[in-house]
Amino acid sequence: MISDHDFKQIDKYLYEIPKTFRADMRVPARFYADPELLKAIQGDRSLEQLVNTATLPGIVKYALAMPDIHQGYGFPIGGVVATQLPDGIISPGGVGYDINCGVRLLATQIEKEEITPYLDDLASALYTNCPGGVGKAGHIKLRPGELDVLVEKGANWALTRGYATASDLERTEENGCLAGADAGKISDRAKTRGKDQVGTLGSGNHFIEVDAVDRIYDEPAARQMGLFPSRITVQIHCGSRGLGHQICSDYVKRLQKAVHQYGLILPDRELVCAPLSSPEGQDYLAAMKGAANYAFVNRQVLTWHIRRSFEQVLAGKIKNHHVYQIYDIAHNMAKVEEHEVDGRRIKVCVHRKGATRAFGPGSPVLPGIYRNIGQPVLVPGTMGTASWVLVGTKESMTQTFGSICHGAGRVMSRSKAKKNIRGTRLREELEKKGIRVRAGSMSGLAEEAPMAYKDVDRVIQVVHGSGIAKKVARLIPLAVIKG
Amino acid sequence: MPTESLPESQETFHDIGFEEIEHTADCALRIFGKNFLTLLTNAAIGMTGLMAFEPSAIPDDTTRHVELAAMDAESLLVDWLSELAYWAETEMLLFHRFELYNVTPNHLQAVIHGGHVSRFKNHIKAVTYHNLEVIQTEKGLEATVVFDV
Repeated sequence: MISDHDFKQIDKYLYEIPKTFRADMRVPARFYADPELLKAIQGDRSLEQLVNTATLPGIVKYALAMPDIHQGYGFPIGGVVATQLPDGIISPGGVGYDINCGVRLLATQIEKEEITPYLDDLASALYTNCPGGVGKAGHIKLRPGELDVLVEKGANWALTRGYATASDLERTEENGCLAGADAGKISDRAKTRGKDQVGTLGSGNHFIEVDAVDRIYDEPAARQMGLFPSRITVQIHCGSRGLGHQICSDYVKRLQKAVHQYGLILPDRELVCAPLSSPEGQDYLAAMKGAANYAFVNRQVLTWHIRRSFEQVLAGKIKNHHVYQIYDIAHNMAKVEEHEVDGRRIKVCVHRKGATRAFGPGSPVLPGIYRNIGQPVLVPGTMGTASWVLVGTKESMTQTFGSICHGAGRVMSRSKAKKNIRGTRLREELEKKGIRVRAGSMSGLAEEAPMAYKDVDRVIQVVHGSGIAKKVARLIPLAVIKG
Repeated sequence: MPTESLPESQETFHDIGFEEIEHTADCALRIFGKNFLTLLTNAAIGMTGLMAFEPSAIPDDTTRHVELAAMDAESLLVDWLSELAYWAETEMLLFHRFELYNVTPNHLQAVIHGGHVSRFKNHIKAVTYHNLEVIQTEKGLEATVVFDV
């Protein structure tokens, strides 16, 4: 266990575990917290996992963790690690099984009061139209070979098939397509798992949520995004489904041998990795990009289902029920980016495991509409609490390789949540608060209860207060759809 | 553990085959076995218990033959459980009876019996290597497996 005397506070919200803490650390480990969150962080083994990531070959500056850090496997969830090219490592365990799990935020011009009479019908339509749960197939039947095109073209495939608009792609990280994806590096087993799941939500912590804008904190940025007080928004949280899970499993297995081959010494086998320049590292990167592209398509097809649900329920009742995209961003990904390290701009492979890219204003990779305000960052809370929209800052570029948190962060295990909370009771409590709930599994609902998570407002205050992101808007839930 | 020295059997044995242990974000099982074959069997039964609402209600009308080779005992354990996760996700198939044979630290063959179910208690997305080690104890073998759910 890591105790109070093993780290020092170096800023109001920033703590450091020095490199001297353990002989195999290559860099210090830093994490963001306030005193309350610190107690939660020390309740599990996440700091030990953070220290483990500080041993990875090629790591630069610091191993980082965001205030929503909690225990994962290998990397802590909320972890950020950058390794220097060409020989720094890439780690499939550092990206996780749900490659490009991420969040998409859609907006409307509908006022909260306008939609209230139709919310029950809308929640039901979303639940019916957006397939969720384990093993649920989507509506799309891919032709033979079409999955290969989809993983290589990403959201462009969705555009060609009529599931996307050009504006959707413009407002998606990397325009919804990571270049260099190679279907040939993805196993048949992964393709089998993924072929029927395009446009499906899955289970676990994935959801669709109808929200209302509760409060605006940065009016110019909110206006630029199309966010106004009391307006209705929709969030989608899901990833690359079975395809991504299998790609990660395949490469975690394959790279076990590479670890021996390249003489890498790791404190945990789940941190398995290979030099990015090696054939194994390159193959994983090409396969991972395929899964990332699949996830962009998955959220895009769900967007299409959401649009038709709004049309079904609100046509003829609310004049302008158009649903437009604000942004789509990954929080489980490894990407080659340029960052400043020791006064020099160098290429690094940034692993974000339960952490969101948060590039500041002026970044050339941002779409023109957001270049002056910084990248929109989407941080969902829990089904009974707020979610947040922020923007990246110049400080995030210098402090965290342009990264911030990805959610509230769990504090309670799933088994404990299920023991303490009854799903039906939770649904009643949420509905008393005016939050409609549609869920395939009551035990699954109990696992995701708000009390199983940290206080998202506190987490956001830490990233805002430390300067690595800026609050733009707070959203409150009106309807939650879970698989 | 050294892959050459897995014991064939142990005199003493832990009272239970597996137990669920706390993990903040995912699911984890501590698994016991008097030998590697028993450990693999108990791991499969434990994982089925995580996935099935009622393991005793799983039909018994489907059989699959499995043959796996891996670099060491830990990898074989992950591959074995990953096989079950794969059938669960792609065919809604769960198994409740596991006949393993020709088991070494690098290889196994099995005939597994079960049937289709309509829903799961937990969706196991993947079986991880997190801190995974098959260790020798006084009572036999032990391993802790973390599942991504």
